[in-house]
Amino acid sequence: MKKSNYIYLYDNDFISLLSLIKILITKKVIPCNIKPNTYTPSLFEETFKEQISENEIIIKEIIDATSFYILNTMYKIFLSEHNDKEIIIYYFFVHALKYQNKIYYMRNLKSVTEALKIEKFVEHETHKFKGFLRFKELKGGILYATIEPDNNIILFLSKHFKQRLQNEFWIIEDKKRQLISIYDKNNFYITSSECFNILDKELSEAEEDIENLWKNFYKTIAIKERTNYRCRMNFMPKKYWKYIIEMSDKNENSY
Amino acid sequence: MDLKEKLIILADSAKYDASCSSSGSSRKEGKLGNTAVAGICHSFAADGRCISLLKILLTNCCIYDCKYCPNRRTNNIKRATFTKEEICEITINFYRRNYIEGLFISSGIIKNPDYTMNLMIEAISLLRSKYHFGGYIHAKAIPGASEYLLKKLGNLVDRLSANVELPTDEGLKLLAPNKDNRKVDKIMDYVHKNRTNKFVPAGQSTQMIIGATKETDLEIMSKSSTMYNKHELKRVFYSAYIPVNKDKLLPTLQTPPLLRENRLYQADWLLRYYNFKVEDILDEKNPNFNLLLDPKASWALKHLNEFPKEINSCSFNDLLKIPGIGVTSAKRIISSRKYFKITFNDLKKMGIVLKRAKYFITCNNKYFTDSTFFNKNIIERNLILEDKVKKESNIEQLALF
Repeated sequence: MKKSNYIYLYDNDFISLLSLIKILITKKVIPCNIKPNTYTPSLFEETFKEQISENEIIIKEIIDATSFYILNTMYKIFLSEHNDKEIIIYYFFVHALKYQNKIYYMRNLKSVTEALKIEKFVEHETHKFKGFLRFKELKGGILYATIEPDNNIILFLSKHFKQRLQNEFWIIEDKKRQLISIYDKNNFYITSSECFNILDKELSEAEEDIENLWKNFYKTIAIKERTNYRCRMNFMPKKYWKYIIEMSDKNENSY
Repeated sequence: MDLKEKLIILADSAKYDASCSSSGSSRKEGKLGNTAVAGICHSFAADGRCISLLKILLTNCCIYDCKYCPNRRTNNIKRATFTKEEICEITINFYRRNYIEGLFISSGIIKNPDYTMNLMIEAISLLRSKYHFGGYIHAKAIPGASEYLLKKLGNLVDRLSANVELPTDEGLKLLAPNKDNRKVDKIMDYVHKNRTNKFVPAGQSTQMIIGATKETDLEIMSKSSTMYNKHELKRVFYSAYIPVNKDKLLPTLQTPPLLRENRLYQADWLLRYYNFKVEDILDEKNPNFNLLLDPKASWALKHLNEFPKEINSCSFNDLLKIPGIGVTSAKRIISSRKYFKITFNDLKKMGIVLKRAKYFITCNNKYFTDSTFFNKNIIERNLILEDKVKKESNIEQLALF
């Protein structure tokens, strides 16, 4: 293996990244870094774009060379917003080729620890949003939720709500990434929210009353003698409050 | 009375029940909703407790007069009763908007236990059949209700439970003269014997009030241990007593015994996941927990001759005995040490918290500091000191808000 001075560029999608990683490994090149092609290099950095022929067969090749679990881990890291996620995925995969599934126990390797930490962060946030996401009912009965998660978890959330609210029309919008997931009681489709602009977001007649009921329930269910704002903040950090309707009009010390 | 007022009254009456878990079931039928094996928290109340279920009473009218209970017959409070349609409407509307994982329903007792439980069954049945609700339901069985009603209810819900309320019969006689522990025992027995994937799939739990009567921690933990063994309960919840009523039989407390409650939960974990027995952590001479130190650390200090344990060779069971090392950490250590010799630095990288553990372990026969510091008094002082520092910094940070 030889260390390269180039920053390698890919097309900012998972398939393209995997294809690039495969080329690099075949050519025995250790990249200085890997970045999406929108990356602006600094004065001392040099970028390089490999000729990548994108093909979904790469997914099967990765699984054959390692395992489905490892591919899954790599995908979750890709969905994070970590600054160096590409190079972390690269090193993780290089180790995975050697150790296979044992890699999950090789936490003495720095790049493995780092990769698994990011994976956990993504899984953790997915789990949190399964609880914290709030739907509002629009006129016509469509359920509408807005989220701004740290990681790109709209796919995992869509899978969850496809099972849970299978007989409802629902829409989840990730405002941070301009992504929107639309479920038609059959399947969900994730697309850019620029292509699918919902003009009429008027709430249903019952919506305000139900939200009020919930806010009152929320206030009532706490035991005054046990008030512990710090504990609440640990479990439900303020960054999530914006769309949690019972919290959105509160400050740290309100009941 | 409008729905909002009813909900406030009947949630307020239900809030002292500690259980809000929605785990242990994986229901897939039903057009609306399913359950997640791991459970999901949807919000956290101002007291820091998780909100996962719509926790309500069917009614707060009650024929009983239990001294500690806000809904006792002789209390002059507003009373309300939900209709079954109202329960369904609220549950469904909250569930669709992803506010909740499901319903937790309990009730005061009107007329008699059978009558009350029938009302609960009607509401839940409507929710399951007419609204095709497939989410989580936890119902409280009414002690004294007939077996055929238990059977009916158990087939509709994920969890069915009955609260023992007070750890000893004497306590119960004193504060809840209308209640009979044998009736609770009967429910637990029935649920335990008949449990299947369809009947109470998430198992049963119970709750004890801590500090309303004079029981020792030993008595409380023995009671828990008996119930875990005899009825295979999923959880025992401990609820620090909060004075809602004035009665000469009740203690007057300034603040609820939250630290004691916390110690009981820690000990409860030791029983369920760490292979400890009650007699390991408490005995007649020391029937109560040390409030300064957690039960596992107390135990380890008393058995310091068994330490330090070598991370690279000691058994899984021994790993579990180390303060600060949990089940996940222990598993991680066991699977990793096949591939490399673990050092202190590796433990950190593996995400294992060394704050407490470091005093009780060696890595490749090395102690984290000069081995002369491996001494009961020094370790005890350090452990207590670290806790204190943490608490003080908590207070400071709180004051900043």
